[in-house]
Amino acid sequence: MFDRERGWSVSFAGCGFLGVYHIGAATCLQERAPHLIRDARKIFGASAGALAGAVLVGGGSLAEACADVLGLAKEARKRSLGPLHPSFNVIKIIRDGLFKNLPENTHQLSAGKLCISLTRVSDGKNVLVSNFNSKEEIVQALICSSFVPIYCGLIPPSFRGVRYVDGGISDNLPQYESKNTITISPFSGECDICPKGNSANFHEMNVTNTSIQFSLGNIYRLTQALFPPEPKVLGEICEQGYSDALRFLKENDILNYSVYVDLSLKKNPQELIEDTDFTNKKTIPQRKGTEEMLKTKMLNNQLKLNTWPLDERIFEHLPPRLRKALQEACKEKSGFYAQLSKLLPMRVMSYLILPYTLPVESAYSVALRLVDWFPDIPDDFQWMQGQLRRIVSTVYSRARNKLLSTSSKESYASLRKCQTVPPNVEFHSPYCHSKVPHSAADLEGWLWDFPYCRDSAGKEISVGIKGLSDSDSHHIFFMNSEESGLETDFDSSSDKSFRTTSED
Amino acid sequence: MTRRAGPVMAGRVALALSLAAASPAPARGRRAPAMAEDGHLEASSEGSGWLSSWLPAWCPTSLPHLKEAEEKILKCITSTYSKQYVFISNGNKIWTLTFSQDLSYKTPLVLLHGFGGGVGLWALNFEELCENRTVYAFDLLGFGRSSRPQFDTDAEEAENQFVEAVEEWRQEVGLDRMILLGHNLGGFLAAAYSLKYPSRVKHLILVEPWGFPERPDNAEQERPIPIWIKALGAMLSPFNPLAGLRLAGPFGLSLVQRLRPDFKRKYSSMFDDNTVTEYIYHCNVQSPSGETAFKNMTVPYGWAKRPMLQRIAHMHQDIPITVIYGARSCIDGNSGSTIQSLRPNSYVKTIAILGAGHYVYADQPEDFNQKVKEICDSVH
Repeated sequence: MFDRERGWSVSFAGCGFLGVYHIGAATCLQERAPHLIRDARKIFGASAGALAGAVLVGGGSLAEACADVLGLAKEARKRSLGPLHPSFNVIKIIRDGLFKNLPENTHQLSAGKLCISLTRVSDGKNVLVSNFNSKEEIVQALICSSFVPIYCGLIPPSFRGVRYVDGGISDNLPQYESKNTITISPFSGECDICPKGNSANFHEMNVTNTSIQFSLGNIYRLTQALFPPEPKVLGEICEQGYSDALRFLKENDILNYSVYVDLSLKKNPQELIEDTDFTNKKTIPQRKGTEEMLKTKMLNNQLKLNTWPLDERIFEHLPPRLRKALQEACKEKSGFYAQLSKLLPMRVMSYLILPYTLPVESAYSVALRLVDWFPDIPDDFQWMQGQLRRIVSTVYSRARNKLLSTSSKESYASLRKCQTVPPNVEFHSPYCHSKVPHSAADLEGWLWDFPYCRDSAGKEISVGIKGLSDSDSHHIFFMNSEESGLETDFDSSSDKSFRTTSED
Repeated sequence: MTRRAGPVMAGRVALALSLAAASPAPARGRRAPAMAEDGHLEASSEGSGWLSSWLPAWCPTSLPHLKEAEEKILKCITSTYSKQYVFISNGNKIWTLTFSQDLSYKTPLVLLHGFGGGVGLWALNFEELCENRTVYAFDLLGFGRSSRPQFDTDAEEAENQFVEAVEEWRQEVGLDRMILLGHNLGGFLAAAYSLKYPSRVKHLILVEPWGFPERPDNAEQERPIPIWIKALGAMLSPFNPLAGLRLAGPFGLSLVQRLRPDFKRKYSSMFDDNTVTEYIYHCNVQSPSGETAFKNMTVPYGWAKRPMLQRIAHMHQDIPITVIYGARSCIDGNSGSTIQSLRPNSYVKTIAILGAGHYVYADQPEDFNQKVKEICDSVH
């Protein structure tokens, strides 16, 4: 079904903790249709999707990644304020996990294939990065792509000297519009692999390319993206990713049986029997008529629906390694303290003493973070200084612009009587329209473009004057007039100030 | 386009239909000028009272706004067409676009838009679809620029009103038989129409039809959802689906742009700006008539009260059905195979369009047009 000649790509949507869905789906693709990943032209990903993509093509272990995500979720849930607690350092945990999981040659394995979606801080534009020189670079790009501002920290990380934040802010599902992209998203909506909700609602919203159907299930999922649910629920999401991917493969007839059998031979015999049973179940209906297929489909659906409340049967579809990782992560701590801390009075107590413990814990974690931060301090300080300077100079120049424009308007009015000055528009349009949305986020970008725009504005002016060129005297008159002298003076001075800010 | 029929032809059609006081609009840009249009009829405002007189002040919309937005869309269509109101009973009027070709022996294609849409959304499809047959597109009763009457609150009665409007429209326009293509709610209504007036339908094309499967009984079991989310859902369910848009008032347009930036992208081959989003906004912020009827025809969340799959078996055997769905859509593509199993002796075909979501005809217009043309060509 997918065009071999034109090739295809796979795109993973950003989704925070729901990334376990991607791990489930990726496991299914890896085991049941390895050629789909192997021969794909590109693997796109944003945020958690990029993490899953990196593990998938970069030679990491998906089961281990799954265990890492569940561990991260448990870590986030451990504290009384959840992931918002100051001692929860999500970036550090992700970084450590990636370094552990990805092999040393991961940049060679994923060369040219893995495309990570990033949002550039300076202008809010989306950037797709696809070539990496080392494992460190990949990890750094992944960290940038996963950095949800404020939630993860205040100072955005940098990649190759440029500051980036979460790719999901600008493009959460890269290459969504392409027909040859297999899109994977844990939110039910318009994607190739996504949970099919039990709602027939066709209303949806579209957040930076991710389509999210208006349904209760999706509202719940959105709340889970940054505030993780229990490991068991995450395990269910992982299983759903697996079964949704399997359904996609079945519907498009790209299940790869031969390779699958090869894979299953490596496992121990008991599982082989289980697995072949499973494949038989899937293959028979395909040979029979469509009616039969429909019936089994409905049956399968019912089966799937029934498995949710039953703990043991949830994971039985999953490959053994992933199943093991999930089961281990779902295991409750059996210690006395763990049992005790789950009791309601203890929980109430922990909230009550929060005002007292929080300062201590925060101080401790701040100290820890400072130690971690130490090597980056000069860089970050420079960046912050630059930001501050830019903000100040923007405010300053805008104020000045306002003041000057009122005075220069008068001068133009007087000059226009001589019919030599080009219309007002030509002067102001290049830099006024250089960036239309002057929102706070765009402020810096707007400023970055300033020196260039000034130049181009200058060029346009000169062109305009040449175009006019009734006689040279006009030109001279214009350049020498007092008011325009004031204008050019302002230009050059502001030019200088911008140059200095843009250098650092 | 080389196959422009020219003003004479279009004028003849407008004359033949002669339904509205035709005041020739001034030629705009490069498009062939002839079209029948009644500007003054729209001025007659419908419905009064303090609420409706107050509402426009809150929502920056009106019929002229909608007209303007629609014209902006239609301006980009190079084929020759005429547009006019078709008058049906109860003083209602149906806004109709006609892309007529001089091929009267060919069965015309009639397009029914979906919920919250209008004729303008077919902008990417008209030109190709009308290449060798006449194409009609009209705003459903209660939607777009058609009348917005009060529908019955009963689901069956409301459905009947929709269907009767289609039938009366057909009689007025004078079509004998047609190929009926419906998207979303239009698909549901096209099926309902075919059930009631089988002799008029030569082929039924259902594009991402709404309201076919029944609401599953075990919907509750699927996954435990926290109480507060359920409460939120219960709180919102008495309201019209797009009530929030009206409530947003002056922010409505930016709300549509914010929530559905994909529409702009879908139509980006035709418009660089927010033309389509504006059109959709003005289509839906008018007084909710079809929307209320739709709401009365649904059970939460989005399921049909009278699902079509229960009835489709009674459809006349000789009507061939083609179901087109987008591979990425959240509407279940299985309806096609279910219809097949329910009509074992009839022609039913399912076509999946890759890379398309619910708005198949806008997501992958080339593929969609190609498929529809193939289907139409199989009809005499």
